[in-house]
Amino acid sequence: MIVLENVVKEYPNGVKALDGIDISIDKGEFVFIVGNSGSGKSTLVKLLLREIKQTSGKIVVKSTNLDKIRRSKIPKLRREIGVVFQDFRLLKTLNVYENIAFALRVTETPMRKIRRQVPVVLSLVGLSDKYKALPKELSGGEQQRVAIARALVNNPPLLIADEPTGNLDPQNSWEIMKLLEDINKRGTTVVVVTHNREIVNKMQKRVITLKKGKVVCDIERGGYSDES
Amino acid sequence: MKASTLGYSLKQGTKNIWKNRLFSIASISTMAACLFIFSIFFIVMINFQSSIDKMQTALGVTTLFEEDMKEEDILKLKNEIEKRAEVESVIYVTAAQAWENYKAGYSEEGRELLEMFGDDNPLANSASFEIHLKDVAMQDAFVEYLESVQGTRNVRASAAAANMIMNTGLLISYISLGVTIVLLCVAIFLIGNTVTVGITVRKDEIKIMKLIGATDFFVKAPFIFEGILLGVIGAIIPLTLTFYAYKEVVTYLSKSFDDLNKVLAFVPPITVLKSLIPVSLILGIGIGFIGSYLTVRKHIRD
Repeated sequence: MIVLENVVKEYPNGVKALDGIDISIDKGEFVFIVGNSGSGKSTLVKLLLREIKQTSGKIVVKSTNLDKIRRSKIPKLRREIGVVFQDFRLLKTLNVYENIAFALRVTETPMRKIRRQVPVVLSLVGLSDKYKALPKELSGGEQQRVAIARALVNNPPLLIADEPTGNLDPQNSWEIMKLLEDINKRGTTVVVVTHNREIVNKMQKRVITLKKGKVVCDIERGGYSDES
Repeated sequence: MKASTLGYSLKQGTKNIWKNRLFSIASISTMAACLFIFSIFFIVMINFQSSIDKMQTALGVTTLFEEDMKEEDILKLKNEIEKRAEVESVIYVTAAQAWENYKAGYSEEGRELLEMFGDDNPLANSASFEIHLKDVAMQDAFVEYLESVQGTRNVRASAAAANMIMNTGLLISYISLGVTIVLLCVAIFLIGNTVTVGITVRKDEIKIMKLIGATDFFVKAPFIFEGILLGVIGAIIPLTLTFYAYKEVVTYLSKSFDDLNKVLAFVPPITVLKSLIPVSLILGIGIGFIGSYLTVRKHIRD
């Protein structure tokens, strides 16, 4: 699903965010990417979404070489990747239903399909009864569920969650993680970038640890590495 | 483009205009002012052109004939000249008509004096053609041709008047073109500013759209439509204003200054409107498109 070979990312100001990392994530895996601030986690997410380009090395996402992808093909790639952020990034003026439908509308999905698809994901994230609510009327956990529903509504084979529990209390964090685990069990590859030690330790999934732009640890079923 | 995408873009474009009302009003006002001034120049120009056409038919080329030229040769020559593309009409003024016309120009007393000529016609050798051309610009070349024709003499043309009309027309065209270009640049700049505000307000939304796989076109289209809508609204306002204002002005001038009708040929308001609608709309849409396209290209990137 994801292959990174000797990837280096150096910003114009000279900061080397990633320094020759090799990562391979198979279809259907659930992977945590952990590390402290400045370890290169956010840069990695941006590279996978092709928001930025690597300085050198090779990145392949769903058999697409991101170094060679044409600009016009980037939207198509992004439709294959669901993405969830720490700050939810919901549109404040749209209600829950509209926020989710928005993801389908921007990909020019027919209205008929939108009407069919949105209730399905609303039910998956347990928010069927709150479809009319505005984001400000929801708790942090509920807002993150809406964001996950929006990420999933296109049925992407890959879901990337960047610090999805960063703004949530332990209870909500755990519920979100269980939801992501459920989604993974349905066949979606899930990559969670986090520094939530407790959650990582509890989930016992594959953990890749980044430190100063390098992969320092890659454990098949483990917890938060002390090396980070 | 899918119909749903077109609908979405139009809806968002209209929403943007409403959300940034103050900037939108500023853009529309400038655009309207710009096209209103353009419309005034346009109206002056088409009325000027219409008056030139009227004057052109009044300005003519006159030629006399060699003394020994026979009547049938004159008529043959008339026929030949009439066939030329640049010729509007040829009037044959016989010597007798010329003498009658001459006498008609005198007062009663003067005419009594002219009676001393009796049946003699002092203008016996003054039979002539009065030739009117379709376009004053063709006059020089036509005079040259006429002078080369056997049997003609003393070809007279009002070259100074023709040149003055042409030069004035050109001057007005250049001035109106210059003023319009400056105003259009201001309008493009202001529409660009309005669209920039819309983009800034929706910055987060644009980022989300891009991350969830919206195409460049889908992201940019609402802003392009916003610019075009601003342009269209900015064109419709001066069109309406110009039509009613022109109608009133023409009615007033025609009633108050009767003599003006002899010199000027006012183009009917509905004819002016028919010419102005496509020109103004094309300008409005064009300026709106250029202003928004340049802004979107600058502010929305990957």
